[in-house]
Amino acid sequence: MSKIEEALKKIRAQGNEGAQKGMIDTRRQLVKSADPSLESRPQHQIVRMSEPRSLSKTELINSRIIFPAMDDTEVVNAFREARTKILQATGGRNCSILVTSVSNTAGCSFVALNLAVAFTFDEARTALLMDCNIQHPAYHELMTGNPGPGLGDYLEDETIRVDQIIHPVGIPRLRIIPAGREPTPDREYFTSQRMLQLLKGVRERYPDRYVIMDSPPIMEAADTRILAEVSDYVLLVVPYGRSTEVQIAAAVKAIGKQKLLGIIFNDEPRLPKLLRLGRRQAGSAGS
Amino acid sequence: MSTSYLHIIRGLTHDVIQHKSFVVSLFVLVNIAAVSVGLVWPKTYTSSTTIFVEEKNIIQPLMQGAAVATDVRDRAGVAKDLLFGRKNLNEVLDRAGWFKKDTTEIEKDRLMDRVKARTKILNVGRNLIKIEYTDSNPERAFKTAETFAKTFVQESVGTQTHESQAAFDFIDSQVKMYHEKLTSAEQGLKEFRSQTVDARPGTEEEVQARINALQNTIEKTSLDLKEAQVKEASIDKQLSGEAEMTASLTREAQYASRIAELQSQLENLRLSYRDTYPDIVRIKHQIDDLKEMVVTEQKQRDAARKAGKSGGKVVVDESVRVNPMYQQLRRDLYASKTNMETLKARLDESKLLLNKELERARRIHSGEAEQAELTRDYTVNRDIYQDLLRRRENARVSRNMDQDKQGLSLKINEPAFLPLQPSGLRFMHFMIGGILLGMILPVAVLFGVQKVDPRIKLPVLISEKTNLPLLVVVPHLTAPAERAAAAASLRWHFAAVLVTLGFVATTGVLRAIGAI
Repeated sequence: MSKIEEALKKIRAQGNEGAQKGMIDTRRQLVKSADPSLESRPQHQIVRMSEPRSLSKTELINSRIIFPAMDDTEVVNAFREARTKILQATGGRNCSILVTSVSNTAGCSFVALNLAVAFTFDEARTALLMDCNIQHPAYHELMTGNPGPGLGDYLEDETIRVDQIIHPVGIPRLRIIPAGREPTPDREYFTSQRMLQLLKGVRERYPDRYVIMDSPPIMEAADTRILAEVSDYVLLVVPYGRSTEVQIAAAVKAIGKQKLLGIIFNDEPRLPKLLRLGRRQAGSAGS
Repeated sequence: MSTSYLHIIRGLTHDVIQHKSFVVSLFVLVNIAAVSVGLVWPKTYTSSTTIFVEEKNIIQPLMQGAAVATDVRDRAGVAKDLLFGRKNLNEVLDRAGWFKKDTTEIEKDRLMDRVKARTKILNVGRNLIKIEYTDSNPERAFKTAETFAKTFVQESVGTQTHESQAAFDFIDSQVKMYHEKLTSAEQGLKEFRSQTVDARPGTEEEVQARINALQNTIEKTSLDLKEAQVKEASIDKQLSGEAEMTASLTREAQYASRIAELQSQLENLRLSYRDTYPDIVRIKHQIDDLKEMVVTEQKQRDAARKAGKSGGKVVVDESVRVNPMYQQLRRDLYASKTNMETLKARLDESKLLLNKELERARRIHSGEAEQAELTRDYTVNRDIYQDLLRRRENARVSRNMDQDKQGLSLKINEPAFLPLQPSGLRFMHFMIGGILLGMILPVAVLFGVQKVDPRIKLPVLISEKTNLPLLVVVPHLTAPAERAAAAASLRWHFAAVLVTLGFVATTGVLRAIGAI
């Protein structure tokens, strides 16, 4: 235990250093970050993104968020691999990716959040995580204090500007649009012009920004299908041992094959360390 | 191959960890059940004994060739039949102390059935029978097995003596029977012989030879007779006509020569005299007379010829009768007639004899078949009788030997023993079985569930079955709190397994030292 603690301290010290550096950078660029005239110079914008606070490693671990120096390299590598594959598929252009799932407990939000985090590992890229699961918001826990207005508010209230709903969460280069308050159910928000504008805006505002949308299970919400239509790509999360072949096929059919980037097989149980023999071969055979 | 063994094992391991509560509770339950069953499982003790049986059948060598005894291969089956007979079983149970004074017949019946069910009689080797008895009481097991063996030996020996006595009695009765048959056959033969004297062996050939001889005689006699008849006819013919003619011709010739003589005298006289000369006239007269006599003679001869032809009585004149030739012929004729008569008589006699012989031959033929049958009966009976006599003597010896217990061919090879260790399933078997079953059963259940569960657990199946791109497999990310909970849960489960094992072991030890 002592060794692990030492290692953690070390990592924390390094992280603080980096964070402080970032803080200095951001402070310097703070005033100009909101300036729309700077949007045409993306390479410099990233460093100017303001990071009001940084989450500690313990917080990350407790929130089940990945970070590069994590002990659990398998999960980190899985998300890195996913990110690389997406980049390959999209040809490096930024895009909006809808993350949906087959069933309710598939861990869709976990995948969406960590995928977004994985995009931010690369210092040249930023990610925007949009919580489109308005009925079951997932990321409000990350927002300390008053989460502020979210997607629901934005769609409901036309006076709210885009920059008002984009919040930093303490992870470098990651911004989140929380679900916000629940809008009145008699309206189709996601098909509204405002939603389309929002999507277009957030994606095109920064050429290196990847928009990840977390959505309800595709078979359970009509909203998701609409979102699938407006997004560039779709990822389907299939939980371990909880969905059948038929369910997957139905979900894929609902999404449409041309938009489907692929399937993420989530939450595969892990054997205790003693029993991990052969895990590598099986894993490699599976992927 | 859709799923390799590695995948199956991996899936199973995941399932075991995921459902560890189920696995552990099933393990505990199975172990407790096994231990409980093991505790109440009755201890059984088996006592066994082997009996050596010599390959010997008393009737077989005795009756070799004459009778065929059934070959006894299934000795255990025979022993079973013997021992499980009501009489013997009753005796065994009585001797082994199963019956008490107040045991009713129904209870006895039930006891017999129980003992029968727990007794095994097996062929161990070619000549070994194993009697095995299992009981919850070692003492009783030993006693019953021992009694079974003793009873078997006793009964078998008794049976053997009885068998040899029976064999002797049987052969003896057969001897008597054949003696009677032989006597009757002899009697029949005797009667037949006395009735048909000429029915001796070889008579037929004799009769045939005689018949042949008689037939030859008859043929010869017939020929002779014919010859004699021809001869007689010829002599008779000679005697009747030819003799007269000869005599008459002789006289004519005399007359003709006298005439010729007188004619020459007349010629001479005519040369010197005239015809009126007396001598000439007289000679002329003389010639005329002679000529007349010739004519008469000729007439007479013709008449005789005619008479001879018509068969009339020929008057033979004296001159002929005295003729020696005639006389000779007459003698021959008589001789020939006598000869003919003799031959006729002989022919008749021969024919009579032939008929007699033929009659006899017929008699002999019918008698011979009867005789052959009688003789055959006699021979067969005599042979069997002699054979049986010899066998009876052998049987007598065997019987005496068995009566003196000389030919004992049965002995207890390995006496029954008092079993100290219980046989069959012991507590240890239940312990080990429980642990193994406790481990295997949950895994088997999970495996079965995995087989029928349509939910996808292997990432490889996604691309295989749905033909969709699998982007990545994300392993479960364990939060620290979760990890702690999992570790605690694992500890609890592990503790439960250990406690169960400890319980099983303790019960085993207690059982071993006899506390339970």
